[in-house]
Amino acid sequence: MFHPSGRRRWRPLPILMLIALLAPLALGWHWAKLTGWRDRHINYPSTPSGYTQIVNRFGEPCNSNATAVWMRWNEADTGTSRLIYFHRKLGGYPTEVVTNKGGRSTNLDNDVYGHIQNDHLGQYTKYLVSTYACRLQRGSTSKWSTHAWGIAIDISSKYEPLGQCYSTTNKYFAQRFKSHGWLWGLSFCDPMHFQYAYDY
Amino acid sequence: MKGKLLIVVSLAVVALGSAGLVAGATLGGPRPQAPDPRIGPTAPLDTGAGEMLLVVLGGVYPTREDASAANDSMVLGDLQGYYVVPIAQFQGFREQIANPGEFALVSVFRTEEGAQEFVDLVTTYGYPAEILGERVRSLGGLYAGLGQEAHPEGSGPLLEPVPESLP
Repeated sequence: MFHPSGRRRWRPLPILMLIALLAPLALGWHWAKLTGWRDRHINYPSTPSGYTQIVNRFGEPCNSNATAVWMRWNEADTGTSRLIYFHRKLGGYPTEVVTNKGGRSTNLDNDVYGHIQNDHLGQYTKYLVSTYACRLQRGSTSKWSTHAWGIAIDISSKYEPLGQCYSTTNKYFAQRFKSHGWLWGLSFCDPMHFQYAYDY
Repeated sequence: MKGKLLIVVSLAVVALGSAGLVAGATLGGPRPQAPDPRIGPTAPLDTGAGEMLLVVLGGVYPTREDASAANDSMVLGDLQGYYVVPIAQFQGFREQIANPGEFALVSVFRTEEGAQEFVDLVTTYGYPAEILGERVRSLGGLYAGLGQEAHPEGSGPLLEPVPESLP
């Protein structure tokens, strides 16, 4: 047990075996906190930059693909499971936890929402959650909002109003959006807003 | 000695590999950039002159300043809400409102679906919205939101009259 010199002898084998056992278990726990859920990253469109790229990638504002896919998003404070619509290219692909809705990717419903639920951050998504609206940007008579393409989502509108340059609740899960190609509106003092487009 | 070195290297590889897998799943992605307000499309300033339009009413006010102040207080995120217009801009409007006033917060539509969607949006945010019972005739004037409803065929925004809006 002890080395003749009196120093405790290093026994690496048990440690290695422990690591060999725990590493896959830790990974498995990460992937499977939701029953069967996995972050899939299937068929993401690259995030467009500017109006021309948005139109090239998602079509004209208010086109039928902008509302082609739906899901229910839980608002923690009201207990409402709100129905939201978004673009066909940002979700609706069949996975273990999403039924086939004719969508092309796993971005918003399976992956982003799945991450938020899987990491127990759903308690921070609050009233109001909204997505598609065929409307112009506030204060403009010429520039479409990214909501008109179904590529934007407002979360916790009541707590994260336009003009507020800090975040009280969306900050807890904003990284999940950003790491899946979304821009967070906090950079222009609209902390409720996430959009799948840059430079617009 | 060689064996120890091998073990240490193996340990490092396992640890770094696991950390990399987890980090790769949760972090990364493209870096966001600030939006450029100079870039954007243009929507036609369609007033629907001569057409019979549906009005969603948010309120009636004695002056333009009062109406603008009320409009500024209604925040629907980055979305455009109501437009401030003189009531005289629409024929048949004044007859349908109970409150006296010369200016109103409105958003006008060609289809019932578009008007109802807007009502749903505004009331969800807790603001008033009421579709007037009768269509009104646009006399031109200020832009009041036409083009912000989806085309019934799903081909984009509705930018032209529909049978219901023709006099």
